[in-house]
Amino acid sequence: MPDPVLQVEDLCVSFTGGGVTADIVRDLSVTLYGGRTLAVVGESGSGKTITGRAIMRLLPRGASARGRIVVAGREMLSADERELRRARGSDVAMVFQDSMSALSPYLDIGAHIAQAIRLHNPSVTRRAARARAVEMLDRVGIPEPADAVRRFPHEFSGGMRQRAVIAMALVNRPALLIADEPTTALDVTVQAQILALLRELQREYGMAMLLISHDFGVVGSAADEVLVMYAGRQAEYGSLRDIFDQPAHPYTAGLRAATPRLDVRREIGGERTRLRAIPGAPTSLRDAGPGCAFAPRCGLADQVGERCVVEAPLPTVRPTSEVGGLHLAACHLDRLPAPQEVAS
Amino acid sequence: MIVYVARRMVTAVFMLLSIAFVTICLFFGASKDPARAMCGKPCPPETRAKVSAYMQTDQSAVWQYVEFVKGLFVGRTYGTGAQQVHCPAPCFGYSFPNRSDVTTLIAERLPVTLSLALGAAILCLVVGIGLGALSAIRKGGIVDRFSTGFAMFGLSVPTFLVGLLVLQVFGFMLNALPYSGFVSFSESPADWAWHLIGPWMVLSFILAAGYVRVTRTQLLNELSADHLVAMTARGASNRQVNRHAVRGVMVPVAAMFALDVTALLGGSVIAEKVFSLHGLGDLLLSGVNESDLSIVVGVTLFSAFLIIVGNLVADLLMPLLDPRIRRA
Repeated sequence: MPDPVLQVEDLCVSFTGGGVTADIVRDLSVTLYGGRTLAVVGESGSGKTITGRAIMRLLPRGASARGRIVVAGREMLSADERELRRARGSDVAMVFQDSMSALSPYLDIGAHIAQAIRLHNPSVTRRAARARAVEMLDRVGIPEPADAVRRFPHEFSGGMRQRAVIAMALVNRPALLIADEPTTALDVTVQAQILALLRELQREYGMAMLLISHDFGVVGSAADEVLVMYAGRQAEYGSLRDIFDQPAHPYTAGLRAATPRLDVRREIGGERTRLRAIPGAPTSLRDAGPGCAFAPRCGLADQVGERCVVEAPLPTVRPTSEVGGLHLAACHLDRLPAPQEVAS
Repeated sequence: MIVYVARRMVTAVFMLLSIAFVTICLFFGASKDPARAMCGKPCPPETRAKVSAYMQTDQSAVWQYVEFVKGLFVGRTYGTGAQQVHCPAPCFGYSFPNRSDVTTLIAERLPVTLSLALGAAILCLVVGIGLGALSAIRKGGIVDRFSTGFAMFGLSVPTFLVGLLVLQVFGFMLNALPYSGFVSFSESPADWAWHLIGPWMVLSFILAAGYVRVTRTQLLNELSADHLVAMTARGASNRQVNRHAVRGVMVPVAAMFALDVTALLGGSVIAEKVFSLHGLGDLLLSGVNESDLSIVVGVTLFSAFLIIVGNLVADLLMPLLDPRIRRA
């Protein structure tokens, strides 16, 4: 097996503000190979975006990361400013959720892409960079690219803008693409197109993709592996099939049950089954106790008893349906009961 | 671009012509007879009529307007024989109380007002943008709290009060600054600045408040803007990113400044009064007090001209800052 494109070991991100320090990401470890897509799933505040930012060392003020992050052979956490600049946009690029705010209102689309090129290849002339931008816009499926290159972000539709952002991110052929909710701001038909485009370009360039999403539908259509995060921790990790077919963490199972599915008839025995919401809200990271962060919302914590409250579960190996696959879940329960048992 | 400028110029000419018309109509609506002030005391009706005819104020507003516009291009002659006064083109009218044509009067007064307005503009931009930027960078710090208070004070206190306070404190109590008078720049640049520091402070204090607020808000927005994070993610250095943030701040500041040209001229009327400077504002006030139509129309029109030119320059500079406008 070749070297992984992304290797994260024991990543901790903590936030200091107002004299209080909170861990927003804890003990995260991930390995991702070229051509593969890892989806990071979780609700708002689970630390998935921060994880993506930490990989590029784009953390907001007051946040600091510990552990080890290796992108395409480069140690990101110990890299100096110059090395970081070289890595950003070249080894690892990012696609943001809101394409409007991710683009400068004062630059036209061509200038954005040309900037991405020239920041890493100063010898390329402006004219050549813009010509390359036209090619790239054409590649991501923007009609009349020669004309589009001179347009400003506000003159594009949301879908076109996201295509332009993708063109900008991929123009230097990064080994790793971090896509932070790339389709959340788009309507459903456009979502599917953008996902298909990302998959296609990924295959073409052989790059690895870290897909950050809260949407199981998006994950199901694009991911190879899935990392489910809860309260900054790894709740479950496994192949898409394992996560979907045999989730080993109650939170994953809860997310699945809360996602509408078109492939399952929601009418069993004449009675309509409802989508189930996970009760409660994520716990505050600041007053996290020693136990499992999900315990207060977990319907199964009673079955385990006190252990869930006093001891944080570590990821342990679970059964997998893939050959050589890895399936981890951080839960004290060895096996989740079948769905009907949960419901009762 | 040339078509745009030409179109703006034509609009400006029509605007100025309308302003002149409205000013003349308003003046005659005030039912104050300019001849009354000139004819002295006692003033029998027949003398007054003669004076009125000589000053050409016995005619209707529309006639006045036509004569005025004609005067702009070919000059104007008042009275006949020994008493004849000629006002060469471009004639903004003749001021009988001052025994001088308005063009000359404006030319005399202009350096004072320009010195005042330009200096105040520079001071207000430097202080406003500087304080705003510092308070955004150290949000919640001492500078931020001070400048927020400063801005509140500046926005709510009237110019004349600030003027009198500055005069009282620096002029009389501390004896640190001269409290009146003007020295031309060509005579002595140091004295020129020395005499203008007070008025500059007054005029810029009021205006700077707005720039503090806009710069602070805009820079805070920019500093947390996604597109700057995205730029860093593309591999840009901090300096490149900051340069970009500055542009985001300059666009609204420039737009605001274009509007403030008016406030600058308006404020200078009061600042000139407080510091006994003989500028355009002072000229206009005396014209109003002495019912001197020529001065009122002339100065109003000239100020309008300055404002229109200021706005045109701002509009032409804006596309350089914000390329989106170039297309519109």
